[in-house]
Amino acid sequence: MRDVALFVPCYVDQLSPQVAWDTVDVLERAGCRVHYEADQTCCGQPFLNTGARREAKRLAARHCERFAKHETVVSPSGSCVATVRNRFAELGIDPQGPDAQCRTRTYELAEFLVDELRVETLGARFPHRVAVLQSCHGLRDLGLAPGSEQGPDAPETRDAVSLLLDKVEGLERVTPDRADDCCGFGGTFAVKYPEVSARMGKSRLAGFSGAEFVVGTDVSCLLHLEGLRARAGKGPRPIHLAQVLAGRAPA
Amino acid sequence: MNDREIVLARIRNAVLHKERHPGAYRAPDGPGGWDAFADRLTSVGGEPAGPYSPSAAGPALRLRATELADGGRIVAEASAAAEVGHGPWDVAPSGGLPHAFADVAVAIVRGEIACAENGAVAVCGADAPHRALAVLCRHLILVVDPKRVVTSFHDAFDGLPANALDHHHVTWISGPSKTADIEQSLVFGAHGPLTLDVFAIER
Amino acid sequence: MSARFDERAREVLPDDARVEWHDTAVFDLRRRRDLAVAEVPDWEALRGQAAAIKAHVLDHLDTLLVQFEEAARAAGARVHWAADAKSANQIVSELLAARDVHKVVKSKSMLTEECGLNDALEGRGIEVVDTDLGERIVQLANEPPSHLIVPAIHWSRHEVGELFHRTMGTPAGESDPERLTRLARADLRKHFLEADAAITGANFAVAETGSLVVVTNEGNADLGMSLPGLHIACMGIEKLVPSMSDLPVFLRLLARSATGQPVSVYTSMVTGPRADAELHIVLVDNGRTELLASDAHKRALGCIRCGACLNTCPVYRRAGGHAYDQPIPGPIGAVLAPGVRAKQGGAELAHASSLCGSCTAVCPVGINLHDQLLTWRGEVRTAGPGERIATRMAAWAMGSARRFDLAGRAARSVWGLLGRRFRGNPAEPWLSSRELPAHPGERFRDQWRERRGSADE
Repeated sequence: MRDVALFVPCYVDQLSPQVAWDTVDVLERAGCRVHYEADQTCCGQPFLNTGARREAKRLAARHCERFAKHETVVSPSGSCVATVRNRFAELGIDPQGPDAQCRTRTYELAEFLVDELRVETLGARFPHRVAVLQSCHGLRDLGLAPGSEQGPDAPETRDAVSLLLDKVEGLERVTPDRADDCCGFGGTFAVKYPEVSARMGKSRLAGFSGAEFVVGTDVSCLLHLEGLRARAGKGPRPIHLAQVLAGRAPA
Repeated sequence: MNDREIVLARIRNAVLHKERHPGAYRAPDGPGGWDAFADRLTSVGGEPAGPYSPSAAGPALRLRATELADGGRIVAEASAAAEVGHGPWDVAPSGGLPHAFADVAVAIVRGEIACAENGAVAVCGADAPHRALAVLCRHLILVVDPKRVVTSFHDAFDGLPANALDHHHVTWISGPSKTADIEQSLVFGAHGPLTLDVFAIER
Repeated sequence: MSARFDERAREVLPDDARVEWHDTAVFDLRRRRDLAVAEVPDWEALRGQAAAIKAHVLDHLDTLLVQFEEAARAAGARVHWAADAKSANQIVSELLAARDVHKVVKSKSMLTEECGLNDALEGRGIEVVDTDLGERIVQLANEPPSHLIVPAIHWSRHEVGELFHRTMGTPAGESDPERLTRLARADLRKHFLEADAAITGANFAVAETGSLVVVTNEGNADLGMSLPGLHIACMGIEKLVPSMSDLPVFLRLLARSATGQPVSVYTSMVTGPRADAELHIVLVDNGRTELLASDAHKRALGCIRCGACLNTCPVYRRAGGHAYDQPIPGPIGAVLAPGVRAKQGGAELAHASSLCGSCTAVCPVGINLHDQLLTWRGEVRTAGPGERIATRMAAWAMGSARRFDLAGRAARSVWGLLGRRFRGNPAEPWLSSRELPAHPGERFRDQWRERRGSADE
């Protein structure tokens, strides 16, 4: 039994608690014992993204303290994991220091299931047509899948999300137009430039025609797309990978 | 301080002279030879012809040049004329204004080396002293030796004559002049030639 | 912060069909690039080689420039240095004035866009004719280019036909790209034959030999360099490569990244002047040495202006090039803007990116574009006092679980109100196009406490 600490990003805690529960469910099905540090808040990503480095540094340090005692940290958010793994060094967290542990052992859910646990099946059933939203940070910062930009001699990479989806009973995977174009969220970008961001999201949604659901690894991208879809009143429904793997039927 | 000293001083404040050059680059092998070049040339809008033996080349070239010229003026650079012999073309005179070639319908110019990777042919200043001719003409015919087709662009640069740069210009030409500046529609003959033929003639 | 980028983007965003069309046209270039890349078995190795050569060049720029200057002079060229745009424009103006030049044909040069050379010359009564077809279109329309390599990509064929009719007297109603191109060719051919001088940029310059490398598809630079008796090449000081054997590395990357062509139609290497002409080379700094002094940003000087980062950029494709209001739009333009400072307002552009990272992934010389945009955000604070206070308060709230808890409760209590208050309100752009998510109910941490007991064991 593997002990896993859950890193629940601040906005998931506030806005999408069910995704965190689905993650708990999936991890437990996969044979993990899940722990939760109740006083975790934010890894600092939104502050780093606006250029507020001082604030980001403080929160990054706080985040590391909270998780220091855990061997393995898992989060249902590629962008937060990418911040911890790839950006904490530039926020002054010593890669050799005692805080390093939370950087080197923090995993995004899909990569954890595929690379660490090597799960064969989770016993989930989801009889729907589904397209993958490759969220940018998961794709290009964490290498969850091969990016569409890569040349023939790039190191081979598995597509973690698709591998997992292909093991779900009844699920039919639909290939989107433009494999990995950005959905337009981009954190503070969507707040500063909401109209450009909305236009990007609209195009992205249009690229998923034929799918009933869009499955992603980042709640933020999914909330952005769901807001647009709900307003348009049509289009595939964005949901988190954890929900599909938990086999939880859409409401 | 003059601008030269100002700029150099700014640079010296910024650089450390530590980053080393990575050394020569080795490209993997790929398809080479005339056939590979001809395929690539076709894909970039050019027209391959041959390879021809020296005796067969003259008639084929005369036919093609006459057809393209459609009664217009045909001019061959001296180096090309030396390879293909007499024909319905004038040999470019030495001297004079480059503007004099503005009405040329077909130009025949010698190519030094050809590259299969990208369909480019090197036109060297030594062979083409009239730099304007190859771009002012409506139709361009380049003449290359099929034994001078190399695989990669690295090989092509390595294969240039040692003194290639002594004659002002070396121009790699890959296909006819083109533009897609109006709604991404590909149009041949933006400013330069509308067509490009590459004749392979064994030397 | 005043979101100037958003205001400019708003000029095109409401025209949905046009945004769609622009996005498709630009992404088509990205698709072509992908097809071309798939044919190059050593693509990533080539990118690595290019990045390493550029790193070497930038770290030896002083010695390489002096080497280039000596070699170019030995070949018969005159070399000039310009610390800034003003100086560059003055050098060119004086060269032209001294030779009584009335008309100049110019091929595409982003550097001269950056310096505002056309305006400077026209102010002195010299006619400047841009000869790249796309540049000619935007010149006739009196607007800046919107793309690095396809300057008029935002123009439809009908608009071009109308513009040509108005400015060149071509037949009304003509909108066929081929016939329009022929009409422009005939018009520009006259200018080529009449011009007294040609101005070009340089894609590369070879330190060892003093050669310039000029790349075009149309052949316009070649006509310019082969007809008038005076050729002036303006280049940024960062354009050097050490030797001739470095060129194919960059040339194999450049056109494939730009348009998916295996190489551009014309790649001209010019060493010294023609026998019947003069050649002047103007080496321009204009803020480049400031970037060179920055460890975080010097790599941006390796840019070979292929435009691939524009073509892949999801923001550029929707907002359009003019939203950037800089000589170079897109990710690379946003990275260069605060440093080169050709125009005010460039610092904001670091925020006009979703940081998706596709720019970095396509860059043929391995510039970490999205990382640099993030770095700029920390270096150049563009936030107004309101945003700064909000940021500090948010960070303060996140600094403790209890404060975070209170902030969350406060937001929840007004949740329904938010949605009703702002729905469809154009003053609140986020909610004008998106629904607020359903009320999420209790937070995860509260649910966990209830279901799984107090905090973690």
